[in-house]
Amino acid sequence: MGVIETVNLGHSYNGKTILKNVELNIPRGDVLALIGPTGAGKTMLLRLLDLLEEPSSGTIYFDGVNVTRFRNYRLEARRRMAFVQQKPIVFTMSVYDNVACGLRLRHEKGETIKRKVDDALELVGMTEYRDRNARLLSGGETQRIAIARALVTAPEVLFLDEPTANLDPVSTSKVEELLAHIIQERKTTVVMTTHDMSQGQRLAGRMGVLIKGELQQVGNTEEIFCSPQSREVAEFVGIENILNGVIIEKDENLATVRIDGSAIQAVSDCGVGDKVHVLLRPEDITLSRAKEKSSARNVFQGRITRVAPVGALVRIEVDCGFPLLGVVTRRSAEELELTIGNSVYASFKATALHIIRRWN
Amino acid sequence: MAELWQGLMKAIELIVTLDPEVLEITVRSLVISAASCAITALICLPLGSLIHFNRFRGKRSLINVIQTLYSVPTVAVGLFVFLLISRAGPLGGLGLMFTPAAMVLGQVLLLVPVVLGLVISALSGVDKAVPETAVALGASKIQVTALTMMEARFAILTAIIMGFGRAISELGLSLMVGGNIRGFTRTITTAISLETSKGDIELSLALGIILICVAMVINFLLNRLQNRYY
Amino acid sequence: MSPKAVFCLLGVLIIVSLLLSLFACTVQGADILPPKQRLRVATTTSLYDTGLWGYLEPIFEKKYGVEMDVLYAATGIALEYGKRGDVDVITVHDKARELQFISEGYGTERVIFAYNYFVVVGPSHDPAGIKGMKPEDAFRKLGESGSVAFISRGDESGTHAKEKAIWKSAGFDYEKIRKSGQWYIEAGRGMGPTLLMAKEKMAYTLSDIGTFLAYKGKLDLVPIVDKGSILLNVYSVLPVNPDKVKNINAAMARKLVQFLASAEIQKLIGDYGIKSYGMPLFTPCAGASEPTS
Repeated sequence: MGVIETVNLGHSYNGKTILKNVELNIPRGDVLALIGPTGAGKTMLLRLLDLLEEPSSGTIYFDGVNVTRFRNYRLEARRRMAFVQQKPIVFTMSVYDNVACGLRLRHEKGETIKRKVDDALELVGMTEYRDRNARLLSGGETQRIAIARALVTAPEVLFLDEPTANLDPVSTSKVEELLAHIIQERKTTVVMTTHDMSQGQRLAGRMGVLIKGELQQVGNTEEIFCSPQSREVAEFVGIENILNGVIIEKDENLATVRIDGSAIQAVSDCGVGDKVHVLLRPEDITLSRAKEKSSARNVFQGRITRVAPVGALVRIEVDCGFPLLGVVTRRSAEELELTIGNSVYASFKATALHIIRRWN
Repeated sequence: MAELWQGLMKAIELIVTLDPEVLEITVRSLVISAASCAITALICLPLGSLIHFNRFRGKRSLINVIQTLYSVPTVAVGLFVFLLISRAGPLGGLGLMFTPAAMVLGQVLLLVPVVLGLVISALSGVDKAVPETAVALGASKIQVTALTMMEARFAILTAIIMGFGRAISELGLSLMVGGNIRGFTRTITTAISLETSKGDIELSLALGIILICVAMVINFLLNRLQNRYY
Repeated sequence: MSPKAVFCLLGVLIIVSLLLSLFACTVQGADILPPKQRLRVATTTSLYDTGLWGYLEPIFEKKYGVEMDVLYAATGIALEYGKRGDVDVITVHDKARELQFISEGYGTERVIFAYNYFVVVGPSHDPAGIKGMKPEDAFRKLGESGSVAFISRGDESGTHAKEKAIWKSAGFDYEKIRKSGQWYIEAGRGMGPTLLMAKEKMAYTLSDIGTFLAYKGKLDLVPIVDKGSILLNVYSVLPVNPDKVKNINAAMARKLVQFLASAEIQKLIGDYGIKSYGMPLFTPCAGASEPTS
């Protein structure tokens, strides 16, 4: 059993459903990033897990104890965890006193407090700030103090709510480095929320995708990015080609999917007649002017309908009986003369496609 | 003018030479006011946080009532306390009439609304994230209250100092329930009020100067505290 | 300021307050220290403003080892304190109300211990032209003219009662006089402050001779009318009846009566003021029959 487990967890506020049917199992030592669009209920889920708020329905087990039922255990359970808010505040005291706060609340001895606080300050690299007034620190420094304040109690579970959302890029990378270091050194169970998928990828081993209050998918990074289990997750993780089709033929695990009159070959366990979404990352599409020899099973001719440069890349929309979006570098776009109206070949491998069932 | 000048010189002499009577009256005033203030604080800190941290019906109205009581006149409180603790009154058995304890009781009644109101507004002035953070750091209910108060400490101290200022400068109540008894319940204000008529101009002036000095110290402290908010 | 310092300060304040409460209890006669007796005396303002009580208080305290609280109160409120049990003994000067106090059972006895006279004092140029008149005639003239300022104590004191009695003898309804115009001013204060007010307003007022002499140095008022049996001013001491009113220090109150009536103190009262004002402020009369003129 994981250190935290939830069963059918739901929460609503003022008649509005914020979370529903969340089933989560977090094993000890796990680093889980909750991703999802703004307003998906990520922060609320963290607050429920840290026992800062009581759920409207469902059960939370902390270390095997039903903390929704045994309410007297909540304070003790909460004291074994720590929470760093999205916009942490520090108390009007010295940096040292701020970091010592959690230990004092737990009635630790003076010498222990001193030792642990000094260690924590060193960990976050704020030793020289020890006697400063915490209220006069910058955003990044405040964030580091908040992390030290949370870590100093050696929590079994550390919750981080958007740890870098309010920071400038330099502070962000500093804090991220710090977190990566902590995760590696301390082997603490970490549950964090982030809207920055790459950050989740950098820091976490596992990710959970929360959309409109529902936990759509939990899995390791590759699963989330390459094999999303629903259209919503696919959209959120940036899979921009989502095509509706029906499987018309199956040979071993190679399926033929009909999409608007075209047939695409893909790897899938779905059976003939299943309605499916075909998911394809733009990066996996190769564009060329002439029909090339390649190992790709799928090659379609089409006409370029739109060209949109984004940074060093160019996004190219092609109409080949169905819409496709591809990405090439600026240079390739120039060399291949990929301009509106030109005809191109789009090719992609059967294994690049990800097929999920659809129910409508 | 000459009379005033002479009186002033004499008064300063009384202060500088630490005249026993001036000293005694001043110390008594300070002690009585400090005691009222401390007892008020003991009442208002828990009560204020109780009101602030709990949701209940009529909370808004209660705070309004408290704020209305800010300006209750000292003599009204004096009359009330007189009726309460006079031998014939409900608390007559305690024998408090014309004692410093009676003055402290009256001043506490006078100060509680002011300090309570200011404590509540001090607590409401604390960032909502403070109690949240405290809970997240593993604070129990009482610890959350304590931490929030800690955050509001400058505003709370300001409230208490203002209470002290009101206590030490108050006259009507001290006169009514203290009785201006020499060596027992005579304070700076009652002495100034009654001794002037007996011609102790020097004493009155000396005490007046001391009272102004106390007011100045209080003001200075309040200013210092005001500057601590950032 | 660190949170520690703030809370230390609060702690100190609280400790001080607790010590004070302890101290208040102790002087109250609670059981922490050997109780010291207290005797509470409400005295008419004239005995206070003349300084007589300030003079006698330490002597009595030393002799009986008692802490004496002297409360400055007009006769009316002094009697009220007695009825409510807030004082143990009263020294006042209004025979009619004193007798009523005793007949209602609030006082055990009435012992006269000194007397002097009231005087009508006013500006030396005597704007109403009443100098040397009989008090009743002087008041009649003041009341009829209704133009020269007169300051009344207006505080239900013995002096105020005497003033009312004179108005009555002069043939006036006091309530009418009271409301007859701006010339009649009710001070609502003690004898000393009333005299100071009369000086400021160049007005007449009725004062006991003792307070007037004690304040003479600060006034430019002179005695205008000082002869007439109605001006007699007798001070008496009334212990509160412990059977009627609870928690009265009756034993010490009786000692105060004996003290005031003792030959030694009577002599001190008789000599009081000679040094400062050149003449005595009171005539001792304990043991004698009540003077009538």
